[in-house]
Amino acid sequence: MAKDAFGAKVKERANWPVTVGLILVALVVIVFPLYMTVRIAVSKSMPTGLDIFSLPATWDLANFAEAMEKTQFFSSFMNSLIITVVAVVVSILVHSLAAYAIGRNMERRAFKLSYLFIIAGMYVPFAILMMPLVKQTAIMHLDNMVGVMLLYIVFYMPMNIMLYTGYLRNIPVALEEAARVDGASTWTTYWKVIFPIMKPMHATVAILTGLAVWNDVMTPLVIMGGSGVYTLPLAQMSFQTAFGTDYPLAFASYLLAMLPMIIFYIVAQKQIIGGVTNGAVK
Amino acid sequence: MAGLSLEHIGKTYPNGYEGVKDFNLEIEDKEFIIFVGPSGCGKSTTLRMIAGLEDITSGTLKIDGRVVNDVEPADRDIAMVFQTYALYPHMTVFDNMAFPLKLRKVPQADIDKAVHEAARILDLEKLLDRKPSALSGGQRQRVAMGRAIVRNPKVYLMDEPLSNLDAKLRVQMRAEISKLHDRLGATIIYVTHDQTEAMTLGTRIVVMKDGVMQQVDTPSKLYSEPCNLFVAGFIGSPQMNFIDATVGESAGKVTLTFGANTITVPDAKAAALKPYVGKVVIAGIRPEDVIEEHEHADGKNLSEPIDATVTVYELLGSEAMIYGDVDGGSVSAHVSATNPARTGSRIKVAFDMDKLHVFDKETEQAVVH
Repeated sequence: MAKDAFGAKVKERANWPVTVGLILVALVVIVFPLYMTVRIAVSKSMPTGLDIFSLPATWDLANFAEAMEKTQFFSSFMNSLIITVVAVVVSILVHSLAAYAIGRNMERRAFKLSYLFIIAGMYVPFAILMMPLVKQTAIMHLDNMVGVMLLYIVFYMPMNIMLYTGYLRNIPVALEEAARVDGASTWTTYWKVIFPIMKPMHATVAILTGLAVWNDVMTPLVIMGGSGVYTLPLAQMSFQTAFGTDYPLAFASYLLAMLPMIIFYIVAQKQIIGGVTNGAVK
Repeated sequence: MAGLSLEHIGKTYPNGYEGVKDFNLEIEDKEFIIFVGPSGCGKSTTLRMIAGLEDITSGTLKIDGRVVNDVEPADRDIAMVFQTYALYPHMTVFDNMAFPLKLRKVPQADIDKAVHEAARILDLEKLLDRKPSALSGGQRQRVAMGRAIVRNPKVYLMDEPLSNLDAKLRVQMRAEISKLHDRLGATIIYVTHDQTEAMTLGTRIVVMKDGVMQQVDTPSKLYSEPCNLFVAGFIGSPQMNFIDATVGESAGKVTLTFGANTITVPDAKAAALKPYVGKVVIAGIRPEDVIEEHEHADGKNLSEPIDATVTVYELLGSEAMIYGDVDGGSVSAHVSATNPARTGSRIKVAFDMDKLHVFDKETEQAVVH
């Protein structure tokens, strides 16, 4: 039984039918497909009929080894990792800095306009930009990993700047004034005071940008397709051929690709929780 | 430590609003100056202009004889304690206090020494490893104070540093700040809207209203000789009683009449009131100078008795406040706790005429104290 602000016991209201219903929906939509992925990945061949509901007779890890070989796992993994890490790190540095400049000068027309301009980028669908970008990156010799990284940094800028400026509003200006009186330049104030305080937002930006970049097929496909350099999702496309899809191999490789992101999420999500500015003021 | 000089300081915002108008003040070395006034009176703006956080629109600001109008806050050799403390939440207490020294590239050994010394003064030694979120309000306030002390600045600026504390802690910290002033021998400029803080801490108080300085004086002078109606009403709690009264003259004596009551003004104050004969003025008298008939009045120059009906009786412990209606106005009076007057009682009060203040009704300036 919970207690209210005055310490009195309050009866909590729980709507069990709805709760159970939602859990069941989650089971069907998330847990079952995940189980299916694991079930198929450890099978020699695609289970047929109701077999999918039963546990596999043997747990066969050979698919994983084969999938790694077929996708040139380590080189594609490294490509994905480099692109993701660079995109995330540069996004955190550049977008937070831009958001700081914009967020703290929002009363000025030029900054307000630039904010609206950047945010407007969120509403431009990738499909519209795709073909011109393919042409443009080719002309600029950016039809490679560097080009893909640059595109990601720009694509996620609107969302990240919106997140950072929103968070910045909760950081009291008095902190910056205190730093100014203490002798800090604008740069030092940003780097030593604001940047560390924005840690929960860095984690959010890292997770959102990181996941999107890691799982993206389209951008590397259209920009550096045919270059012989593959990211993981790109390499995984080799399981789909005109003659069918090798599900056990494909699912084994999907599971392998998921793993780093799950680990990353577990590490970063701790940072999101917990009001870091507690105790700053009042 | 150093003195400050504010000459014709003004602040006009881009929308044309004048936050501070023609502010002139000489602050001596080691003074404890209080800026007091209601919210929006420009006291914080003035402080922020001294700090360099707000541009000065007009006038000259000198610290230790040097014009600092366009000098960055960091180079003015000032330290500021913010109302919200503004502690860096991701740093420990030690790092918060060491931050200004680190920025000045002070050697680590000196930083350690300065921080520990400040922590000792403020009783923060055991908290140096904690983050601000693990501190109580009073402790955070002390850390904010510590961050100012470590720098040993020329001038300390404090912007309502106690307003976020509970009443008990506020009284305690008030005494601490007072001790700190004696100990550091520092020039302190302190902003508050709490007149009790102003009266107890300041060596001089600046009373402000609507961006205009009203009066600068010592606490006792401000209390006994307020220059106008606003200062008289703002300083002192409970507030001074104000009664509209007509100045008269009979048998060579100047009198004040309100309702059916007429009181005779002592000769010492009469001369100043002569030009006002026949006009309405505002008579001001503090609650402790309104004497109920059961109270001691030895040696006091009492007015004629005035009939009053008690409307509110408040027992404060060792003493009580009574609020009553008199013909032509209302008065409040301090009485002893043993006084028999209660709500509804019909009582007689008299004014201590030596403590009577009279204000011009039009200009609201003091005519006589």
